Amino acid sequence: MRTPLVLLALTLAWSFGHALAQAETPTPGGTAIVVLGSDPEHLNAAISTGYPIGAVGASLYSALVYLDRDGVPRGELAESWTVSDDDLVYTFTLRSATFHDGTPVTSADVVFTMIDVLAPNHGRFLNAYRNIASITAPDDATVVIELTQPYAPLINLLTVFEAPILPKHVFEGTDPLTNPANDAPIGSGPFRFVEWVRGERVTLERFDDYFLDNALLDRLIYRVVPQDAARSVALEVGEADVVWGFYMPPADLDRLDANPNIEVWKGLTIPSLYFVFVNTDNPALADARVRQALMFAIDREQIVEQAQGGLGEVAGGPFGAGFAYAYDEATDYRTIYPFDPERARELLAEAGVGDLTLTFVYDSARGAFAAAAEIMRDNLRQVGITLNVQPVERSVMVERVYGRDYDLSMQSFTSSGDPAIGYHRIYLSAERGANFVNATGYANAEVDELLNAAAGLADRDARAAAYADVMAILAQDVPTLPIFDELSTQAAAANLRGLLVRFDQRDGLEFAWLAR
Amino acid sequence: MSAGRGTKALGAYALERLVNAVPLVLGVIVVNFLLISLAPGDPVTALIGEFPAPPEYVERVRAQYGLDQSVPERLVRYLGSVVRGDLGFSFANRQPVLNLVTERLGRTLLLMLTTVVLATFVGVVLGVWAARRPNSAVDGGATGFALAGYSIPEFWLGQILILVFAVWLGWLPAGGFRSIRAEYVGLDAVWDQARHMILPVLALSFRYMAITTRLTRASLLEVMNADYILAARARGLSERRVLWEHGLRAAALPIITVIGYNFSFIVAGSALVETVFGWPGVGRLMYDSIFTRDYPVLLGILLLVSITVILVNLVTDIAYALADPRVRY
Repeated sequence: MRTPLVLLALTLAWSFGHALAQAETPTPGGTAIVVLGSDPEHLNAAISTGYPIGAVGASLYSALVYLDRDGVPRGELAESWTVSDDDLVYTFTLRSATFHDGTPVTSADVVFTMIDVLAPNHGRFLNAYRNIASITAPDDATVVIELTQPYAPLINLLTVFEAPILPKHVFEGTDPLTNPANDAPIGSGPFRFVEWVRGERVTLERFDDYFLDNALLDRLIYRVVPQDAARSVALEVGEADVVWGFYMPPADLDRLDANPNIEVWKGLTIPSLYFVFVNTDNPALADARVRQALMFAIDREQIVEQAQGGLGEVAGGPFGAGFAYAYDEATDYRTIYPFDPERARELLAEAGVGDLTLTFVYDSARGAFAAAAEIMRDNLRQVGITLNVQPVERSVMVERVYGRDYDLSMQSFTSSGDPAIGYHRIYLSAERGANFVNATGYANAEVDELLNAAAGLADRDARAAAYADVMAILAQDVPTLPIFDELSTQAAAANLRGLLVRFDQRDGLEFAWLAR
Repeated sequence: MSAGRGTKALGAYALERLVNAVPLVLGVIVVNFLLISLAPGDPVTALIGEFPAPPEYVERVRAQYGLDQSVPERLVRYLGSVVRGDLGFSFANRQPVLNLVTERLGRTLLLMLTTVVLATFVGVVLGVWAARRPNSAVDGGATGFALAGYSIPEFWLGQILILVFAVWLGWLPAGGFRSIRAEYVGLDAVWDQARHMILPVLALSFRYMAITTRLTRASLLEVMNADYILAARARGLSERRVLWEHGLRAAALPIITVIGYNFSFIVAGSALVETVFGWPGVGRLMYDSIFTRDYPVLLGILLLVSITVILVNLVTDIAYALADPRVRY
């Protein structure tokens, strides 16, 4: 059952932060150390989509909206907004807020940041910008975004990870890529910048004039710990307080869980789907029966248990478990494709395929991919397919996969709060060679039409109907083999209370406090 | 030959070596540049991140960093800027490479030089000790240590040291190059940094201690059978003076050679150790730059490392001359 799992996970997310917090009164003060896996290249989250920059940026900057624990958009800098009846004009009313240097945040800052900094430099925001006709500021507290066509994911692309707001007076007339404020940032978020020692740490302190409730911690230090095993150790010996989900080696979780000084949390916040791309350039794989045979042949349950350490759930559809409205129980992949090597052999025989050898390409830095590759090699051998496993470095993987020089490739995608942002591009027909779009060569005019329609529908029920149709088609065509939905993890010092992970990856550290 | 003339000759030799190093450094740059350019993987992909960027955006980023030019064009441009002392601009960090590298080179050199000094000191002492009593228990222990040291990879040893001394015993910090929770000043800051250095230096120096121990022992055993040692003993010199003044001075030549040789390997080892211990030096920067295909940073680090290795080898040769009166330049 999908929905109960999501609810359970979100409830866990909620209870981690709040069950503890309810028992005690939050007290201000203290320092928390948060682990980053690599050094941020700079600290301007408006010109980069890199994770470490975004993670620090989430505490430094504000955006028009944020997504709450249930993925519902709420106002941040925007006190409220209205959408015109034709879904084309979004009008935002701003709160009174100030930047860390004391100047007020106005609609001019929002318009300048979006047009002059984000649109040319932030790739994900650019996807929204291509649907935007104009962004204007009729007065200091109003921002109007006019679209060229209805585009449902717009609101999700206005959060702090996608569209942090910069001070216009600092950036106007400069090259945003080399502005000195990229290394000493000025935002309007709950924490302000203090110091950055490259390769070691970024230190922030509470901003006392924050426009929402002030943060409780005095200081927040983002510390760089490059090696994954060293991150768990830093937590165990008290040299760090928080390690976010994907920086955590799954193998360490049981050990950390047994430690009374550490609180380990598992749940589903940012939906992340793991699947296998199938290159339809390969004549054998161009036959849908062969792709269906792969679905029957791969033991997805075994992959979840052994490659992912149980931190996942076998995928039920092509859009992951994160979006209830993009899932139709009638075409659940787990029902249609149980693990059945016999059925796989029948389908391969029907398709006239024997002695098939396939190249399996993946990013060598991803431990779960390596383990999954070994399981798949074993699974596919049972049905007479030889898997030639090729781990390559990430940048080489990108060239190989999007240049369609592969047969099968394991990938994981997230979708930033809306399936249209991350998942549509996997199935929409696309030009060969463009990165991070459809790499399977799958092209289906009906799917294109349904997905494009879904992206323009603000009404969730209408979208759900379109997704149900797409899901039914993809369940038969299987251009990708959905393997599992990932469960997020997080480990933190037990005395750090009130933590919560929001749906939009904003870390919510402004709510955290130290119990003494 | 007077001492003055000897020093002058040594000076001329050093100068000649430095001049000869110029084409070597240029060669290093060209080879590194070509190797990196030939490697698969596109820096623009790494820069942009994981989303479908429109082709015009990709082309703009490519042009912004001069990556739209051919390899020979880029090589000529790069050589031109290196001659002017400009190591280029980091794609990923949006910073001049020189700032980025010099900021961290000091921290790496601190780790490396401490390692060289410790490895040499411990290695020589253990080697001498073992050579004085060949085939004794001490000798067996030193030989066993040398074998173990030579076989254990740095990154594995680093993790074991962290487990034992930071996690189990809690005596030393697990990583970083200073405390983050507390800020120290003056002597306390020095002590804090020293505590953070102990484990990475041990992890990095173990192998070189082992090599030096073995070499000192073998070299000294050979020298101690020489005629002039017999003569020194016959003149009634104490065994201590025979060993340290006559024996070790002659046995030192291969040891000095190996220090210079080790240095270039310590550079490689430091990249691993810096990653295991989260030590913010150039090794880590190099590791990150490989994944982001940040060519200017990689080239800058390789260039500075090559220069350092060339300089260390020069110093080794000079030390050679000072240790052995037979060596003339």
